Amino acid sequence: MSTSQTPAVVMDNGTGYSKLGFAGNDAPSFVFPTAIATKGPAGGGGSGSGRPAVAQKPSFLTGGAGPGGHLSGKRGTEDLDFFIGDEALNAAKGPGYGIDYPIRHGQIENWDHMERFWQSSIFKYLRVEPEDHYFLLTEPPLNPPESRESTAEIMFESFNCAGLYIAVQAVLALAASWTSSKVQDRSLTGTVIDSGDGVTHVIPVAEGYVIGSSIRSIPIAGRDITYFVQSLLRDRGEPDSSLKTAESIKEEFCYVCPDIVKEFSKYDREPDKFMKYMVDQGAGRKVSVDVGYERFLAPEIFFNPEIYSSDFLTPLPEVVDGVIQSSPIDVRKGLYKNIVLSGGSTLYKDFGRRLQRDIRNLVQERLEISERRAGVKSSGLEVSVITHKRQRYGPWFGGSLLGQTPEFRSYCHTKQEYDEIGPSIVRRFALLGGPGGTS
Amino acid sequence: MPAYHSSFLSDTDARVIGNFALFPLRTKTRGPAYVLPLLSPDDDEITLDPESESYDILDETLLLFRANTLFRNFEIKGPADRVLIYGILFISECLGKIKPTMTGREAEKALNNLALEHFALPGDPSFPLNALFAPARDRNEAETLRQYIGQMRQELAVRLLARIYFDSATVPSKWWLSFTKRKFMGKNL
Repeated sequence: MSTSQTPAVVMDNGTGYSKLGFAGNDAPSFVFPTAIATKGPAGGGGSGSGRPAVAQKPSFLTGGAGPGGHLSGKRGTEDLDFFIGDEALNAAKGPGYGIDYPIRHGQIENWDHMERFWQSSIFKYLRVEPEDHYFLLTEPPLNPPESRESTAEIMFESFNCAGLYIAVQAVLALAASWTSSKVQDRSLTGTVIDSGDGVTHVIPVAEGYVIGSSIRSIPIAGRDITYFVQSLLRDRGEPDSSLKTAESIKEEFCYVCPDIVKEFSKYDREPDKFMKYMVDQGAGRKVSVDVGYERFLAPEIFFNPEIYSSDFLTPLPEVVDGVIQSSPIDVRKGLYKNIVLSGGSTLYKDFGRRLQRDIRNLVQERLEISERRAGVKSSGLEVSVITHKRQRYGPWFGGSLLGQTPEFRSYCHTKQEYDEIGPSIVRRFALLGGPGGTS
Repeated sequence: MPAYHSSFLSDTDARVIGNFALFPLRTKTRGPAYVLPLLSPDDDEITLDPESESYDILDETLLLFRANTLFRNFEIKGPADRVLIYGILFISECLGKIKPTMTGREAEKALNNLALEHFALPGDPSFPLNALFAPARDRNEAETLRQYIGQMRQELAVRLLARIYFDSATVPSKWWLSFTKRKFMGKNL
């Protein structure tokens, strides 16, 4: 077979965006929303919305009957009438199509839609023959094994892919940080801070395995920062305060400051800190929006959630410290030493530096207390936050890195093995890039 | 990192009425406050060094206002923090009086009226922070406190105006006015 030369396909399907590409590349070939537009209103076609989150079987297994309902009766025509990604968003603006997001909170909720999403990803976007490629897919931490099995069923039975590996996103994010010059030993122990659009996760990983009981999530992420920028623009009565403008301002101008009081004074002294942003409102109308304090106040909500939210008040550094403290004592040192950032909302300038300083202060305070109690000098604890160039698509890039190694294929389950043993084979995967691997 | 505390907490020499501290002020208005030396013409009030002998708690209040007014929770660590709270809430009230269309002259008038208005003291039923502020012991003390807070209000209004009309004498700074809706500790005076 020609599989020996083809690169592995790496697909990272997240709640917000899907990242698709080939192993060995620097960046994903396609990044688009994990959205699908189908005929009829949203949630149609037997989707999981409003139903209990039971893993539905893909429709081909139920013989076209089952929850597919009316849609399955017209298989062959209706079935092919759908769009994914940005095309789906456009189609949903017009009449006749409803939009669905098959992944919720990181987990696949609608398997029928997900199967079609993958189908289009593979044949329409990546344009590959699945039988010629190995596939590396990602899953969130604590993904139920049933979910893995359903994924394997689709991958092997519908698409006939040559081989499959399913990796945990946090572990791949750790692997992606190996490109940073600050990382000397390529260990798979560390704390991953993954902040996307909807939610921020803090995930401790010890030697490639996620410490499930210590994971924490924070309801503050990219979308909240956008909303906060928007509210600041509105308070000031700027001529344009749409979400789109707020998002662009967030991406273009925001940064993390060491101290907000000093930063306010800096703006008094240096008026050129204030910026202007031109908004094209269409039809040739352009307005200029002033950009000021939101530049440093917006990302500040990670460190002082109080200024944005009234129900969640724990600063991110405290959450990270708590996560590590609740992990087994013998891995804590490694978790403090390798705090890795991943996801678009960790890209603000000096985000890592501030986080490192704040966590260090917390650790130092605790050390001093225990030193005073015990009367023994502590040897200190190294806290290190890793910022690297591949943060934005961290899990995808980690997959690309591991998927190109020569031994990658030996870690995968092949179609042949699947046919012999069945879906339960994907419940276990050997640890990629872990001890024993050559990478 | 929660809201900022006053750096005057360590200064325990000041007279305390109720649990409100009467720190020295740099002001020309008459009252019980010990008066600090006025600034020389080449000193800039907005960037005054905290180590300067003329630096008072009102400078600090104006410095911390924009940061602290974003917070809803504040733990009072001493009498100086209460001065800070009163100052911040008074600034909020001032901002509420300034309309975006007011010139510096009009705003000055409005704030002067506000500063000289009759105001509630700790212990009065209409004072919003009675849970946090203790009333004065007797009528004499209450009168001193009223005069001191009056000095604070007038001086804060003057200094706030200087900041809001720093760039232009006719248009207030929208950067300052954007804090109008925020409520420090969820309260107003």
